[in-house]
Amino acid sequence: MMNITVTISRFNPDTDEEPRMESWTVEMEEGARVLHVLDKIHTLDPTLAYRSSCHAGQCGSCAVRVNGEPALACTKEASDGMVIEPLNLPVIKDLMVDLVPGINAIPRFHSSECGTLPTLEDVSKIKPLRDCIECLSCVSVCPAMRVTDFLGPTSMRSQMRIALDPREPGNRIREAITQGLFTCTSCNRCWRVCPKNIETPGKAIEKLREIANREGLTLPRHQEVAELVRTTGRSVESGKHTFLDLVDEVIEPYGEVKREVGFFCGCMFNARLPERAMDMLEVMRHAGIRVIIPKTQVCCGSPLIRTGQTSFIDELKDKNIRAFQERGITTVMTMCAGCGATLKNDYDTPFEVKDVSEILSETGLPPLTKVPITATYHDPCHLKNGQQITREPREILVTAVDKFVEMPAYCCGSGGGVRSGMPDEAAALGELRRAEINKTGADVVVTICPFCEYHIQEHSDRPVKNLMTVLVEALGKKPTEL
Amino acid sequence: MQNQEFIRSHVLVIGSGGAGVRAAIEASGSGTCVLLSRTIVGKGGCTIMAEGGFNAVMNEADNVSDHFADTMKGGAYLNDPELVRVLTEEAPARINDLIAWGAVFDVTDSCTLCQRPFGGQCFPRTCYAGDRTGHEMMITLMERLSQTSVKVYHEISVFDLILSQGRVIGAFGLDRKGKLYVFIADATVIATGGGTRVYDISTNSTSGTGDGYAMAWRAGAELIDMEQVQFHPTGAVYPWDARGRLVTEAVRGEGGVLKNSLGERFMEKYDPDRMELSTRDVVARACATEIQEGRGTPHGGVWLDVSHLPAKQIEERLPVMLEQFLKYGVDIRTEPMEVAPTAHHIMGGLRIDPFCQTTLPGLYACGEAAGGVHGANRLGGNALAETQVFGKRAGSMAGTEPEHEINSNQEQVDSAKMMLEGYLTGDVSPDMVKFDLQRIMWHGAGIFRTKKMLEETRIALDALSRKKLKAVDPSGFISCCTTRNMIDTARLIVTGALLREESRGAHVRTDVIQDWDNQSSPFGHTILTRTGATIERRKA
Ligand SMILES: Cc1cc2nc3c(=O)[nH]c(=O)nc-3n(C[C@H](O)[C@H](O)[C@H](O)COP(=O)(O)OP(=O)(O)OC[C@H]3O[C@@H](n4cnc5c(N)ncnc54)[C@H](O)[C@@H]3O)c2cc1C
Ligand code: SF4
Ligand code: SF4
Ligand code: FES
Repeated sequence: MMNITVTISRFNPDTDEEPRMESWTVEMEEGARVLHVLDKIHTLDPTLAYRSSCHAGQCGSCAVRVNGEPALACTKEASDGMVIEPLNLPVIKDLMVDLVPGINAIPRFHSSECGTLPTLEDVSKIKPLRDCIECLSCVSVCPAMRVTDFLGPTSMRSQMRIALDPREPGNRIREAITQGLFTCTSCNRCWRVCPKNIETPGKAIEKLREIANREGLTLPRHQEVAELVRTTGRSVESGKHTFLDLVDEVIEPYGEVKREVGFFCGCMFNARLPERAMDMLEVMRHAGIRVIIPKTQVCCGSPLIRTGQTSFIDELKDKNIRAFQERGITTVMTMCAGCGATLKNDYDTPFEVKDVSEILSETGLPPLTKVPITATYHDPCHLKNGQQITREPREILVTAVDKFVEMPAYCCGSGGGVRSGMPDEAAALGELRRAEINKTGADVVVTICPFCEYHIQEHSDRPVKNLMTVLVEALGKKPTEL
Repeated sequence: MQNQEFIRSHVLVIGSGGAGVRAAIEASGSGTCVLLSRTIVGKGGCTIMAEGGFNAVMNEADNVSDHFADTMKGGAYLNDPELVRVLTEEAPARINDLIAWGAVFDVTDSCTLCQRPFGGQCFPRTCYAGDRTGHEMMITLMERLSQTSVKVYHEISVFDLILSQGRVIGAFGLDRKGKLYVFIADATVIATGGGTRVYDISTNSTSGTGDGYAMAWRAGAELIDMEQVQFHPTGAVYPWDARGRLVTEAVRGEGGVLKNSLGERFMEKYDPDRMELSTRDVVARACATEIQEGRGTPHGGVWLDVSHLPAKQIEERLPVMLEQFLKYGVDIRTEPMEVAPTAHHIMGGLRIDPFCQTTLPGLYACGEAAGGVHGANRLGGNALAETQVFGKRAGSMAGTEPEHEINSNQEQVDSAKMMLEGYLTGDVSPDMVKFDLQRIMWHGAGIFRTKKMLEETRIALDALSRKKLKAVDPSGFISCCTTRNMIDTARLIVTGALLREESRGAHVRTDVIQDWDNQSSPFGHTILTRTGATIERRKA
């Protein structure tokens, strides 16, 4: 037996102005789940409202937030000190939220009366999208749904399942587009919170966008980007300088060589923010890391994959893999979160891929002097959700600044082609960031991803800096200016 | 008492599991239909939890008469043969309905349905969608339902049927806040599922509290064979709070073996021919005996092992099991599971004819709420088939019920309100009564039974039924009503078990020595009504 203290959000809209937090300590058996703790508390206070039915992760009734993260109460192990709140959906009472509108919104397969069986191949494609238990955890976290009429991740999952089924009589891609197919920012938050681990962005949304592409329905702005990549190998037009033009192929550290990495630069750092990549090189020189920069690398293809324009993606992949493989590179370092997530999740690489923050925390930081600022950190979605990296950047930042303050992690709105294709949505999400940044009271917002940096800067009253720039300052150097 | 709400429809379906949704889809073709459920419609009940599969003759090498014979034999010949005939003949067509509606069952590379072997069947006849077959069925049914005009009421718990001149004219329901709903209909379908939550260790969902049995019995319907409770041999034993959670028979269907703490494959002693794929009653008793005689595992179970199977087979065919056990720290690809018997299914229930008509005019029943299909022991895979075959029949027959001039019975409304208000002045927490009830039933009416134990159990249940249940506010009414239904269901089980002085299928009376086998048994159904209880005697 063990004692577990929990804090539970209580709210009765008939009588309460706002939710209040209530603490309970109960004695539980080893291995108890969150739901068992709620059941125990219910015997002491039968007015506690929450849902459950199957107790086995199969009905999707019981999703709540445990320490801020959505989870099924019946499968999540209870832990001492946990905080249990309802999902971020309209609350009916206490932990019970209104699931019915969200469930009713999910597009449904149209029955045909033809009973032909799908083939084994169809079935194996459909199956990964079929496990959904309609718990709406994904819907409760989707940033696009907060600011647009997007029908949501599980609805897109359902649309893709329908598209894969030969029994569905109609073509529903136009329906999916009006339901918001192009509003998804590819933040991958929905995938990370899904108790069934359904990879909706990659397995449904991007695939639906591919279908849209085949039918000529890709947004014009996205088509322009694809054309640019096709003709130049790059998704961003070059400005005055590009990083690859400015630097040598091999950058040696100041002291002893502790490690060697290849650097995958990405279009944004190459053409729009080369200064940040130069800052990174300075940090590497101090950290004892030799950086090799193959000049034959091209766009990773992320802007194409996210927008469903994959017709020549294999050529890009081949070129990039060859660029590093030819030089015998075994570790490729990325600095752009989007490129990193793409190389890790969409490529099959013969080398390991690591984010710059992983490399630095493995190899160790050079001696730093704390910069006298209060900084907050914006988690790039493609780092947090795409690569599940949250610890390393924080650890680095804490050693580089006087004071660090947390800020809730939300998508800034720049990904998935939304900044170019859906500028109003991107701006609305950017404004939500502004509000959170202001709440922190920080002097500076630090991030790593160039897309986030560029976008948030337009929606922030405080300067936005790359983590590498902050490190350069903490080394007592001046950040690169071009 | 807050205001009440009246809802009039042609057909009222209570319960949104496989049987209820199938019935509503069918009934929607013949007039207004209301479908309600204690949970969000589609999420409640046991259908969505069903893992292993759906029995239907889908292969030319198999045939319906074999499915019939397997079901009768497995049911210890207590089944109603006419119901079994309907089940086995119509199951293939009902699976085809699901396929036309979009169900994604596993298929072979030659484009036929995959079928796995299940206990007690002479042919691998169990169709499946991995080990989430019931979930696949439910989402398919809900997709089909969304294309009908059925009016859906979420999170309404029914607590009593309404009668007028001997006819069922609807039911009383409560919403979460304790508001009274009066549903009036020309035909009412009970599809409330099973009730093994009356046991301490059970596989059922939170709604498996036997409400349908209890309500129908109080309204005067006949119930049969309520003593026939299936204990599934393989329920999880760890963690303690999740004990009873089903470990699907598909684990054994795929080749899982049972071993005791000495490492012996003990089924050799109990059924050397069929081994692990013997019928559930036999395997459950074998496991219970091994544990009782001290050859159990650290957490009081036996070992169930699939680690000799290829990891890929486990990942593809048993993904839910793999995921669930991983959550509890056991990787079934490399380690055995610990399992013990758990109360799983109620074979008895409302007496129905092949058209799902109960003995009360205006009242229909289908799915686990009905009795007679499975006799004294249900074969794995036959319950999902039952939900579809009899769900369709119930819905279509209920739809043909002529329109009746119905005035709701005000007297009954008043007495329902009085009962509910009484809970506000009660003094015992329903959660505590449930807790006691579940233990009493597990120890006193479990796998092995004697007259003495059952009589003691009856006395204990009578004492529980005299307690005054307490609701702190009207939102607590549902819990009180459910507890009342659980007590009634438990008493029905015990009454049946006392009446049946033989061991038959899942019902074992260790105090009775009998010189007959299942086929020559002098007994037929136990029949329970509000006014009396008897056991049928067969003519020699
Ligand atoms: C874990 C598990 C696995 C199983 N696996 C299999 C299998 O592989 N193959 C097989 O053939 N069988 C299996 N079974 C058995 C089978 O699932 C059930 O017998 C069958 O699904 C019952 O269906 P039903 O529609 O009658 O009831 P359920 O699906 O249980 O639905 C009952 C409905 O009634 C509602 N309800 C109950 N009481 C009330 C009330 N008072 N007011 C309003 N609504 C109410 C519930 O909320 C629910 O919606 C399994 C059972 C369990 C528990
Ligand atoms: S990836 Fe992000 S924006 Fe897109 S559906 Fe998922 S949660 Fe919403
Ligand atoms: S996709 Fe996952 S998170 Fe979303 S509703 Fe389905 S199961 Fe829940
Ligand atoms: S209770 Fe069904 S998923 Fe948790």
